[in-house]
Amino acid sequence: MTPGGRGNHDRVVPVYAFTGGRTRAAGQDLPLEAVVCATGLSLASGGALQMESRAIVEMCARPKSLAEIGAALRVPVGVARVLVGDLANGGYLEVHLPRTADGDGGPGHAILGRLLDGLRSR
Amino acid sequence: MDSVRVDTRRPPPATSRELIPLKVLVAGGFGAGKTTFVGAVSEIPPLTTEQHMTALSVGIDDTAAVPDKTTTTVAMDFGRITVDEQLILYLFGTPGQSRFWFMWDELARGAVGAVVLVDLRRIDDCFPAIDYFEDRRLPFVVAANAFPGTGVFGDRAVRDALALPEGCPLVRMDAREPGSCMDALVVLVEHALARSVG
Repeated sequence: MTPGGRGNHDRVVPVYAFTGGRTRAAGQDLPLEAVVCATGLSLASGGALQMESRAIVEMCARPKSLAEIGAALRVPVGVARVLVGDLANGGYLEVHLPRTADGDGGPGHAILGRLLDGLRSR
Repeated sequence: MDSVRVDTRRPPPATSRELIPLKVLVAGGFGAGKTTFVGAVSEIPPLTTEQHMTALSVGIDDTAAVPDKTTTTVAMDFGRITVDEQLILYLFGTPGQSRFWFMWDELARGAVGAVVLVDLRRIDDCFPAIDYFEDRRLPFVVAANAFPGTGVFGDRAVRDALALPEGCPLVRMDAREPGSCMDALVVLVEHALARSVG
C-alpha cells in the first residue's frame, strides 16, 4: 500500500514502451474485473504476436481478469488494459464485461441470488 | 452488458460460455485485516495489482505545494472465487489511504458491495470507508475483526460508536478463518440482495 514502494526495480524497459506510448485502451475502459478469454484466432496464430501480447493470450487459455493479467505481467493495470484492448480489437481475445442492472449500478437481483446460492454451498 | 466481439467473422472463442465477473471490495483502515481476508477466501494466492495514478494535488494533500500533477503507484491486493460455471467473484482490497478516492470510484462501480473491516481498538480508521459507501449507496457490512481484547465491546456499543444506520449488518468475525470470511461475504450478498429490486 506504499505509494511508489513497488514498481520498476526489476523492470528494465519502461512499461509504456510495451504500448507504443499510449496509455488509453483502443476500446472501452475495461474494469479491473473484466474477464478475458483467448479466441480460436489466438490459438491458431497467437505465435506471431509480440512477447507481452503472446503471454497474455497464452495465459488466457483459461479465463483471467484484467487485474490478474496485470499482476502476472507485473505491469500496472493501465498497461494491461491497453494491451488487452488491442488484442480484443484484433480478435485474439474475447472480453466478458460485468453486467449491471438498469438504474442502480449493481449486478441485479437474479445474479445476486445466484451468487448467494453459490457462496452458501461452499 | 454482454461480451464484446469486435468482428463476428472471427473464429469462435476457445471458451464459448458466457462468463459474468463480479466484485466485492474489502475496505478498512491500515492493518484491519484486508489482506488476510482476501487471502483466506481466495482460490488463488492473493495477487497484487499496481495502478499508476496521475492526479491533481488537492487541498490538504502533502503535495499541495507542487503546482502541477503528481504521479504515484498504488498497490491493491485481490483474490478470486469461482462461484459456478458462469460467475467469477473478485475481491479487491481497497487502498487504505483515503486520498485515493477517485480510485475507489472506479472500484466501486458495479460492485456487489463492500466488507468494511474494523479493528475495534482503532475504529476511527474505518470511518472514511463507511462514509464513502454510505454516500455512494453501495451495500456494505461492517466486519469486526477479532483482535485481542475486542470481545468486550457489545454490538450496541459498536453500532453507536460507528453511527451505523439501522439495517446495516454488523458481523463478528476472524479474518484468519476462511469460513468466517465466507460467512461475512454471505451476509453482504444477503444484504445487497434485500436492497436490490426483484
